[in-house]
Amino acid sequence: MQNELPIADSRVGHLQATLRLAFEQSAGGTFLSASQQEPPLRVVRAFPLEDGAALVHLHNVSGGLLGGDSINLEMRLGRGTRAQVTTTGATRLYRPRAEAPVTSQTNRVIVAEDALLEYVPDAIIPFACARFRQRTTIELAAGAGLFWWEVLAPGREAYGELFAYHSVELAMEVLALNRPILCERVRLEPKTYALESLARLGPYRYWTTFCICRVGPETAFWLEAEQRLRAVTWELNRPGEALWGVSALLAHGLVVRCVAREGHSILSGLREVWRAAKLLIYDREPIPPRKLN
Amino acid sequence: MPLQPKLGGPELVESAPLALLRLLQLADSALPIGALAHSFGLETLVDAELLTLPALPEFLHGYLEEAGMLDAVFCREAFRLAGGNGETFSAERWLEINDRLGAIRPARESRAGSAALGQNFLTAVLGVADCRPLRQAAEAVRHARRPVYHSTAFGLAAGALGIEQESAVLAFLHQGTASLISACQRLLPIGQTDATRILWKLKPSMIATAARSRHCGIGEVSSFVPLLEWGAMEHPALTTRLFIS
Repeated sequence: MQNELPIADSRVGHLQATLRLAFEQSAGGTFLSASQQEPPLRVVRAFPLEDGAALVHLHNVSGGLLGGDSINLEMRLGRGTRAQVTTTGATRLYRPRAEAPVTSQTNRVIVAEDALLEYVPDAIIPFACARFRQRTTIELAAGAGLFWWEVLAPGREAYGELFAYHSVELAMEVLALNRPILCERVRLEPKTYALESLARLGPYRYWTTFCICRVGPETAFWLEAEQRLRAVTWELNRPGEALWGVSALLAHGLVVRCVAREGHSILSGLREVWRAAKLLIYDREPIPPRKLN
Repeated sequence: MPLQPKLGGPELVESAPLALLRLLQLADSALPIGALAHSFGLETLVDAELLTLPALPEFLHGYLEEAGMLDAVFCREAFRLAGGNGETFSAERWLEINDRLGAIRPARESRAGSAALGQNFLTAVLGVADCRPLRQAAEAVRHARRPVYHSTAFGLAAGALGIEQESAVLAFLHQGTASLISACQRLLPIGQTDATRILWKLKPSMIATAARSRHCGIGEVSSFVPLLEWGAMEHPALTTRLFIS
């Protein structure tokens, strides 16, 4: 493992930092074979899970992202590996200085043949005036699997900050065998486009997307999976509080969406969907981080 | 907005009036492609009592800003492929554009609905106007067994038929909005007069969306319509349905 100093933009002091993680398989299970760590992102070590997967906690030692920070997260899962990646807390997007560039995070993930990545982070919380852009690209090889969710909060609710941020853009592209199966690009600019529009969030405040993939099974499998998971999301629906939906992707997976008025029920709902989906697709239970238990 | 004639093969040497009349027909709800059978999630929103008559104009305004923008950008991209009477057409790019649009639409029923309309539209136009880019496009999707979507089929056809780009994009947005209002007439207590008024007042939103789409590529366009997506995702679970999507 290497620890390197981050590159700071000498003119304005904005951080450009990278965290690279690589996972490989041994007889004992998946292990973290290499990491390059530049603050503020840190991984202390990988913990073995009972099913042979490696659990990694992403720490942000500065507690969040500052205006103009540019973060790169790269994860490479070798053939047959299984990794679970989570965060130690919410990703806070701090209020930037007026002249600061957009804060950005780029996630690049490669999941090799028959590997499985479970990325189950806490919510993204944009503070007042925050400007944030996240780009995620995930490449899945034959037999590769993915459970990946994102939760976007409306802001620091306890401070009365609701949609006080300037802009949040989340883009995710999932490619299976080099073809796109999910391209999401949402851009929220509360001061320009009314988020309370019924075409957008309506009375809800939180937005969640959960991508569930395994490269291989045919369309009929995913249609059946959609139906089975709908029974789960249907039970989670609480009109006025949270709405959950599920749909089969073009191929190789499903996407689950949730809009909610409050954040407290989202992680438990995600956990239920995760459990049902993993049983359906992998015939085994997920091992959620203890914070979800 | 004036329609410009476009030179191509002998069958494509069009006059502006002819291009206008063709555009009117392609964007007419009477074109037999099945557009009136889809609500694209609206039926669920009405069933859940989220979408009501008073909220409809504002909903459609937001719809145009997000989903309308997405369609407008892809309509333009496909339009550009049809230039030069098929000389600039790339089957690979055509499939790539449609693949990307399919991957952007998360709700299966809405995606399938748009794909059905796209295929029907392409077939309908090829039935009356045998021009090279459309033949190439139809052959490419047939050969690759891949879907084609309504906005891309519309843009490609408009480009191939010598219709001016701005008019094509505006017409696509107009017919899409009119289709949704028509669906709402069957779901909500809306009379003809109200429906006409709502569509009339939304024209500035269509113009603004078309203008924004001029400077946006398919790799940059965003769309945030979570409630509508929820409606489209949960539509299969409705016990009584008037619409396919």
